Amino acid sequence: MNTTLPLWFRLRRAFFFALLLGLWAPVKIVWEQHIAHEQDLLRYHDVPMTRELRDELGQGLTIGMLSGMRSVVADLVWLNVTVAWEDEQWFKMEGYINLCTSLQPRSITFWDIGGWQLAWNASVSAMYDRKQPDPMKRLKASRFWIQKGLEVYLRGIENNPEHFDMWAATARLYEQRLGDYEKAAYYYEQASLRPDALAFYERFPAIMYGKAGDDQAAFAAWTRLWNRLTPEQRLEKQHQLGAWQYAAIRKLEDKLSIPKEKRVFPN
Amino acid sequence: MVALMKISVMDTSASPAFAVETIGLTKRYPLSWKRKIVLALDHLDLQIRPGEVFGLLGPNGSGKSTTLKLLLGLAIPSEGEARIFGLPPDSLEARARVGFLPENPYFYAFLTGDETLRFYGKLCGVTGAKLEKRIEELIDLVGLQNGRERPLRSYSKGMLQRIGLAQALIHDPDLLFLDEPTAGVDPLGSSQIRDLILRLKKMGKTVVFSSHLLEQVQEVADRVAIFSLGKKALEGSLEAMLVENQSTQINLPAELSAEQQERVRQLLVQAGVGAAEIRFTRPHLSLEQLYLRTIQKAPDANPPTHPRP
Amino acid sequence: MISSLKRIIAIGRNTLTEAVRQRVLSVLLIFGLVMVACSVFFSKLLIDEQIKFVKDFGCGAIGLFGFAIALLSTAQLIPQELHNRTIYTILAKPVRRVEFLLGKFLGVVLLLSLSVMLMSIAFAGALYWQEWQGIDSTQIGYDQRTPHWQSSPDMVNMYQRDILEIENQVRDPQLIEAILLIFAKLVMTSGIALLISTFATSSIFTIVTTFMIYLIGHMETVARQVWLGRGAETTLYQSGFLGILSLLIPDMNSFTIVDEILAGNRVPWAHTFNLLGYAGVYLIVLLALSEISFRYREL
Repeated sequence: MNTTLPLWFRLRRAFFFALLLGLWAPVKIVWEQHIAHEQDLLRYHDVPMTRELRDELGQGLTIGMLSGMRSVVADLVWLNVTVAWEDEQWFKMEGYINLCTSLQPRSITFWDIGGWQLAWNASVSAMYDRKQPDPMKRLKASRFWIQKGLEVYLRGIENNPEHFDMWAATARLYEQRLGDYEKAAYYYEQASLRPDALAFYERFPAIMYGKAGDDQAAFAAWTRLWNRLTPEQRLEKQHQLGAWQYAAIRKLEDKLSIPKEKRVFPN
Repeated sequence: MVALMKISVMDTSASPAFAVETIGLTKRYPLSWKRKIVLALDHLDLQIRPGEVFGLLGPNGSGKSTTLKLLLGLAIPSEGEARIFGLPPDSLEARARVGFLPENPYFYAFLTGDETLRFYGKLCGVTGAKLEKRIEELIDLVGLQNGRERPLRSYSKGMLQRIGLAQALIHDPDLLFLDEPTAGVDPLGSSQIRDLILRLKKMGKTVVFSSHLLEQVQEVADRVAIFSLGKKALEGSLEAMLVENQSTQINLPAELSAEQQERVRQLLVQAGVGAAEIRFTRPHLSLEQLYLRTIQKAPDANPPTHPRP
Repeated sequence: MISSLKRIIAIGRNTLTEAVRQRVLSVLLIFGLVMVACSVFFSKLLIDEQIKFVKDFGCGAIGLFGFAIALLSTAQLIPQELHNRTIYTILAKPVRRVEFLLGKFLGVVLLLSLSVMLMSIAFAGALYWQEWQGIDSTQIGYDQRTPHWQSSPDMVNMYQRDILEIENQVRDPQLIEAILLIFAKLVMTSGIALLISTFATSSIFTIVTTFMIYLIGHMETVARQVWLGRGAETTLYQSGFLGILSLLIPDMNSFTIVDEILAGNRVPWAHTFNLLGYAGVYLIVLLALSEISFRYREL
């Protein structure tokens, strides 16, 4: 062709193309690494696509995962949890719960409902299993599912330590399913310390200690709460309907016969 | 955006005396998958003066459309150069003075006639009252009163061609390129387009058009170039090229009897013309002329524009 | 400069008008049906599940329908203009090629904005319906479990907590971030399709290639990490391949942070702006590449 024109000019489209890409590519990599670093700080972890996961999901859902539809894929898998619940297929249900929570470890809904399904629904169903005549075995099975639910909650906390819901759910499980009020008190306390926690969680530890019969600890917990209040807030609390702290502290002071000089309410 | 280095192949001070000028204009298309190069246009030299009507003739694939694309800056020449009023064809200044009607245009099927013209007007920087006035004028000029509010997908071929002409004229260009302006249009529409070209000529515009229908070219073009296989085979004024210098034709408004013919023959023999070379014939109408006469006798039955469906 | 901008806007508006009159947006009716189907179909689930599902499916559908619109309409832009020969009429006017390209792209962006806006409105509608349903069924639940529960301050407290939890999940202002990120991803996809269509000879090629890049873009993160040596050992050959992948393919996976937002986790605006900025700069690069490619294209 035209040999008088220099090579770069004849290939100018490719030349300019390569030039621009060459300038952009390093910036791109650095920027993407920065984004990835920020996402790490946000505790946002991608789920690596392993062979096992691919087998578990099947072809359609795998493509969905790969095209950035992770939450939709997880939801579709989660529908199986509801089906398994209706069919009382507890082991199957547990498998699906584990798959979903590993697909979306930061979805509180999955952890919350998953643990509840196991520790309440599966456990209660095992307790009243008509096919199992031995009450000891029924109790054992029931305990087994509570333990499974607890494991789900604890993994939920591990993945979402800043989320009060996970701590509160664990506390509820200790309180309602295991009757372990000391543990329940600890987890309620943790829940109340998280950001956005609902206000009333802060008195739950004290109530739990009371239920556990540990009056000293309960008194300490109530007093701690009371001391956190400003004088105006205290005045308000005393006149409030069901002024919890006020009433509880007075009662415990009498019960524990605390000496007058150490009482919150000497009169 | 990346700055483009322009490599000038020839002297850039080309004379602006021409509306269109090309010097050694060449276009090769590489067919990379066949390792072959197609020579679409081979060293074309062309000079068209302002005010001329110029016809590009030739069979399909002879280089007419390639020439127009190069003149509009739509394709990049492999060699040589083209100038529009002394300007490079891809410059905005050149294109502000150029109107173009492509072959078989479709336009935006969902826009109405008015919207189409408004869109093209905006592209040329014509706006507001000036644009609306211009649209009125052009609709009148091309006779599209019944197409103003209709979407273009309901247009007939002739109407599309006319809206195409109107859009080419929207910014009042000095030079018009029309690619096969009468292709696929019925004879009546095609004669209207011919009339339009003549009117544009009267308005002082330069018109360059391509066609493979020779008769049409003959009726409007001042000069033509005939293309064959990417090369300009012939160029010149129709006057000069079409007159057969070796013969003379005498037209009479009446039929001559055999006796009258004999007397004329004798007169001519006396004047020194060889008797064997004198022939008497009656002129024929072309079928097109017959058709147009018939249609125009009954204008009400065949309105010039297409009725609403 | 201003006249140039006017021409770009004229071409953009023209492109949008064409698309709207071709009833491209009627695709969105299907989106509406999906939203209604979601709400009805998931009504047997628990309230928390329902809200999560409507959010996930709603945003998923906005992404999916937007993707279809972005891909199909962008891939058609140049081939359709060539087929109708309108590109010749436009470029024969005093219009630069880059103005034509940007105008066409602006048209697609306008179309996408309109579609995403309409879908977001339908999505918000579905969410509010979900909230109303949730509150309704919560109240019925309380009524069934404890008669006269309104007289117990504790029960009232609990009820209010439940309602608040539903409202917090539904009326999450972070959903705006999610929609913006989805939109950014769509515009980026459009930019890729535009670049490919500047040298593609058929729109099918553009569609298939863009789709491949979109998919690979979701794996670019992994490729990059391995290439930069944070993962498995690689041979020289593999490393070269991953390097090219990381250097050329945009990172689409970062945008799946939308999942986090939908799950109710806090994603700061700074991070969202970081991603939007990345998408914006990437888009400029894509447009510049398209310009280079289109400038030298034979029409």
